[in-house]
Amino acid sequence: MTDATVPRSAPAPAPYIVPHHPVRELLTGPVASIAFTVIAVVAVGLIWVGPRFLSFGNLGIMGAFLIVPLVVGACAGFALLSGVVDLSIGSMVGFSSALFALLLTLNWDPWSAGAVTLLACLAFGAINAIAIVGFGAEAIAATLGMLVALRGITWVLLGPQGAIFSFNPGLSDLVNQTLFGLPLFFLVAIVLTVIAAVVVTKTRFGRHVQAVGGDDRAATRAGIPVRKIRVAALLLASLGAGIGGIVFTAQLGSAARATGFGLEFQVYAALMIGGYSILRGGVGNPVGGALGLLAVAGVSNILDLKAISPYYVNIIVGLLLLAAVLLDRMRGGDAYE
Amino acid sequence: MLRISKRAIATMALAVPLAFGIAWSANAAEKFKLGMAVGGNTCCDWMKSQGDVARALAEKNGWDYIELSNNNDPAVALKNAKIFAQEGVNAMIQFNGQPASNPAISQAMTAAKVPVVTYDIADPGMYFVGIDNLAAGIAGGEQLGKVIKEKWACNPDLVVSAEGAAAGIVNEWRTGGMRTGLKKICPDIPAEKWVSFESQGDAAVGLPAARDLLAANPDAKKMAVVGLNDGGVLSLINAAEQLGRADEVIGWGQDGAFITGDNVNPHLAGSVFYFLEGYAVYAIRDVIAPIAAGQIPPLKAAADNPASRVEPCPVSAEQAKAVPVMAERVAKLLAAPAGTTAYSLFCPNK
Repeated sequence: MTDATVPRSAPAPAPYIVPHHPVRELLTGPVASIAFTVIAVVAVGLIWVGPRFLSFGNLGIMGAFLIVPLVVGACAGFALLSGVVDLSIGSMVGFSSALFALLLTLNWDPWSAGAVTLLACLAFGAINAIAIVGFGAEAIAATLGMLVALRGITWVLLGPQGAIFSFNPGLSDLVNQTLFGLPLFFLVAIVLTVIAAVVVTKTRFGRHVQAVGGDDRAATRAGIPVRKIRVAALLLASLGAGIGGIVFTAQLGSAARATGFGLEFQVYAALMIGGYSILRGGVGNPVGGALGLLAVAGVSNILDLKAISPYYVNIIVGLLLLAAVLLDRMRGGDAYE
Repeated sequence: MLRISKRAIATMALAVPLAFGIAWSANAAEKFKLGMAVGGNTCCDWMKSQGDVARALAEKNGWDYIELSNNNDPAVALKNAKIFAQEGVNAMIQFNGQPASNPAISQAMTAAKVPVVTYDIADPGMYFVGIDNLAAGIAGGEQLGKVIKEKWACNPDLVVSAEGAAAGIVNEWRTGGMRTGLKKICPDIPAEKWVSFESQGDAAVGLPAARDLLAANPDAKKMAVVGLNDGGVLSLINAAEQLGRADEVIGWGQDGAFITGDNVNPHLAGSVFYFLEGYAVYAIRDVIAPIAAGQIPPLKAAADNPASRVEPCPVSAEQAKAVPVMAERVAKLLAAPAGTTAYSLFCPNK
């Protein structure tokens, strides 16, 4: 018989509790790098362009242009967080814009037209959800199919002219209203973003969305309704795109084939700059996404105001994107999250 | 040892940019300021050249000049117009390939009291400077008709229209005008031989639809192609080449964008030059310069009663060899006396 004795297990080490340090969290948190980028953009704007960069007139122009991307981004961010990328949001914006414009030209009142438009968008969002959640289709492939299909439906709605002119002075006045010198709808979009951030960080639903995106198997084991969460996230994404299309039509007084074209890339690039990840869910914050959009819009605006060739905007957005990816890796990437 | 507090650093961080900005504002002089919104579609060199010519002419006149790109996006076009208004331009020129945003742009610029010149696509609130699209269409169609009559005795298998519906009435005038012109020369082509596809006025974008059309007409060999512009016509020609069916395709385009230089497609028999790069000569001569001089011209917004009309110049591919490429045309145009048009300099069929 051996004399070996079973070693007594060492006492378990006390769990390491990360000390709460608000300043450090602010500097290293998920929106820190993009917040500093926005501050840098504002500083460059003030130095190079002058005080008019932060004038209410200029902020109003940027704000009016950002309403649609902000709303679409805040809602599409839920899908990204839950681990599914919805490529159809740009086409959904175009479809929503076309359907809303068409209904207006058929003398529908704007509220009814808006409600029907949103229901139609939710229906297409539900098809996305059925394909991805119900049948386990690859999200990129399924929503790419929806992107193409919606583009075709939009073209059919727009008819041979390729555009529907539905200029409605009342609607235009509504969407162009200002509050404290800024577009009212821009402020609404900011409030919506803050609400989305609160939902993501402070509510059970938000934590579930992040958990599903982070590791859906672990989430399932933890009793989180993964399928329901993803369905809800995809429906939210389509709802946001639907609202975006309606706002587009109200702003432009028309719908056209180009409406929403490529918007998905603009929004997702900004969300990635703001800390989201396209390929791994559970990462990102709506405030970071909004700051990403503000940073890109700020750079674009500086180039506009300095009359620098607009062809440089894409180069700078690309470099910002690369910098965001680099920062993400430097702070630990997956491990950090 | 010098110690700088955090508060001092923060104050400097805000004060320095503001000081720079205020200094910049003080230096800004009051000059006539022209805003130019270029189309921003990557399809065509002439969109960038339109800005280059406008910039050079503005500088010659001693004006300030701001150029923005519409990125072929209606929302960007509206944003650009608002930036022009904010920057205090005295007049604006635009090529807006997405005219769906024109009503909103018109409303914004009317509110800002900024007159707008629009190229080629009319809007009731803007000065129209552009080609007589219907005349250009008919002229091109007649030229193609003469070729078809000589080669095929007015008996093609198909007459294909490369439409660009987004251009609205402009498409109807140009593409429809080409059909009208062709019918003048060859009036007996049966109705079933006239087919259309949506090219969107872009050689690459229209390619799939052009392939579909060819697949739907497998026996067609002798095909005449008309269209909104050279790009649209080329989409059918390129599709036919991909499918090995280009031997007997003859196209005649509009706008002259792809009929000069070393790589002209041999199936593009001709085009109608608009010399798009030189539109600013007309706009500045007939609208902007009078505004700068305080003599605001009456608003002429209709395409059939324009503020300034650009003359169409139909040319065969052979004649087009004598026309310089765009970069050279821009250089010669800018070296010419003020008010000289590209048509007067380069059109071989004046």
